[in-house]
Amino acid sequence: MTANVSLQALSHNFGEFQALDDINLEFAAGEFVVLLGPSGCGKSTLLFILGGFLTPTEGQVWIGGQDMSRVAAKDRPTTTMFQDYALFPHMTLRDNVGFGLRMRGQGKAKRNAKADEMLDLVGLLDKAGRKPHELSGGQRQRVALARALAVEPEVLLLDEPLGALDLKLRRQMQEELKIIQRKVGTTFVHVTHDQEEAMAIADRIAVMNAGKVEHAGSPEEVYLRPKTLFSANFMGDLNILPEAQVGRAAGAGMVYAARPENIGLAGEISLGDARLTEASFFGTYHRCHFQSVEQGGQTYIAHLPIGALPQQGEALPLFASSPMTLKADV
Amino acid sequence: MRTLGWLYMAAIFVFIFLPVVVLVLFSFQDSRLPVPPFDGPTLKWYAQVLADRGMMEALRNSLVVAVVSSAVALLLGFFAAQGLARVRLPGSALMRGLLIAPMTVSYLIIALGLLTVFNNLGFRPSLWATGIGHVVISLPLCFAILFAAMGDHQKNAERAARDLGASDLQVLFLVTAPMLKPALLAAFFLSVTFSWDEFIIAFLLTRFDVTLPVEIWSMLRSGLSPATNAIGSLVFLVSIVILILLELTVFRKSKT
Repeated sequence: MTANVSLQALSHNFGEFQALDDINLEFAAGEFVVLLGPSGCGKSTLLFILGGFLTPTEGQVWIGGQDMSRVAAKDRPTTTMFQDYALFPHMTLRDNVGFGLRMRGQGKAKRNAKADEMLDLVGLLDKAGRKPHELSGGQRQRVALARALAVEPEVLLLDEPLGALDLKLRRQMQEELKIIQRKVGTTFVHVTHDQEEAMAIADRIAVMNAGKVEHAGSPEEVYLRPKTLFSANFMGDLNILPEAQVGRAAGAGMVYAARPENIGLAGEISLGDARLTEASFFGTYHRCHFQSVEQGGQTYIAHLPIGALPQQGEALPLFASSPMTLKADV
Repeated sequence: MRTLGWLYMAAIFVFIFLPVVVLVLFSFQDSRLPVPPFDGPTLKWYAQVLADRGMMEALRNSLVVAVVSSAVALLLGFFAAQGLARVRLPGSALMRGLLIAPMTVSYLIIALGLLTVFNNLGFRPSLWATGIGHVVISLPLCFAILFAAMGDHQKNAERAARDLGASDLQVLFLVTAPMLKPALLAAFFLSVTFSWDEFIIAFLLTRFDVTLPVEIWSMLRSGLSPATNAIGSLVFLVSIVILILLELTVFRKSKT
């Protein structure tokens, strides 16, 4: 099952603190959406409002064409995969996964069959009779996913579910999440502060900052054509280009910027001579820090191809290509 | 150093258990006084105690009061702890303090207070009155144990259950209570042992039907006898059984 989600003029306050400020977002049915932002940006608050654990101060949540703003969590077509998994420690994996179906009044045989099917989906069928404390972190993760999907929610909410895993397991789980999402077709709304994770799994990314959505779009859009300086910075390293070098004014409240891969030894915009101060090897490129010779305060980060590494301290002409025009932070 | 440690441990155990060992030993005394030299063993005092209808009735009363008062205290303590742990209310800290406060008050004061209140209400001293007194002393204990056991972990599991469609009652019975099972059992059995041993409240709040400690006390007034040792040993045995039950059901499970 799957449904579209529409957030309309959503605001939420915790006392004096405004956690969410006029959020308007549309998620299509079956999309893998990632809410991305630094801690405290309101992304988890937004997820909790979607799940029905918080009632928004203002605005509406529509799921599958129905106003869910004031519907309790237990009656919503959403389930959540929690950050700490929140498995029931006194139940076997099968009972954990079948819990939602039990609450929906399904008989034991039927819900066990479904639970086994879900455990099979996440590769843990052989451990169906075990208790959660016998599993590793990654396995608990999968059980939490199976449990949330067993009731066939229209929207699955994932609250930084991969935060506690080590890097390798995390990358592996990202791929699995994506594959499972394609298989079940449910709309996934995933919260994270890891931009690489967001790029790896999302169909659509909503970059959030201080309670607002800075930019929502495909990973390509958000990375290559960001709308604001904040989202550009959050998605990766960024070089601010002086207007004087670009040769034309960026406009009021706007700046020119370029990604490190668009800075190099050739290009359409000359940045003048710059000195290499630091370089590190990243396997597929050299990440280099340059300092402008004429304007000492101006530094650039460039990704240079393998084999093109200049000498440390060497000054050479630096160029930028395809600059972005961004709204500066207010 | 090492031998000294063992000696110290042995001395501690002798200090703690010598009175109990002496009590149990002289319950098997053949002559009429439970003093050395030991001239047993015999089971005649046990036979006498077990044939004593007043004593057996007191034992039954004690068990009933202990189990019922503990069950009531557990239920009230559970609801109070659940409420105060989950819902933010004005004055939560004050309420928590008030709930635990009776623990710091001496049983004598509690008994006198209850006696005064019951007198004014026209409620006669009885096993019921004693039971209420025991709820008063067990409730803070149950509350404190259960409140301490309710962590974030539990809260998150409850939220997950609600997310999966469980009603408040289903959350309570299918998630909260089973997750708290060790704490619930510990609180219950501790309350039972407290009530089982309690003398002052039972003494002041009973009249015709009495609990075991009160019955033993009236027996002691007529002088020492191996029969008192026998009944004391029986009381001790019950406490030991409860402890072993607790060990087997609660602590073994929580280790895994």
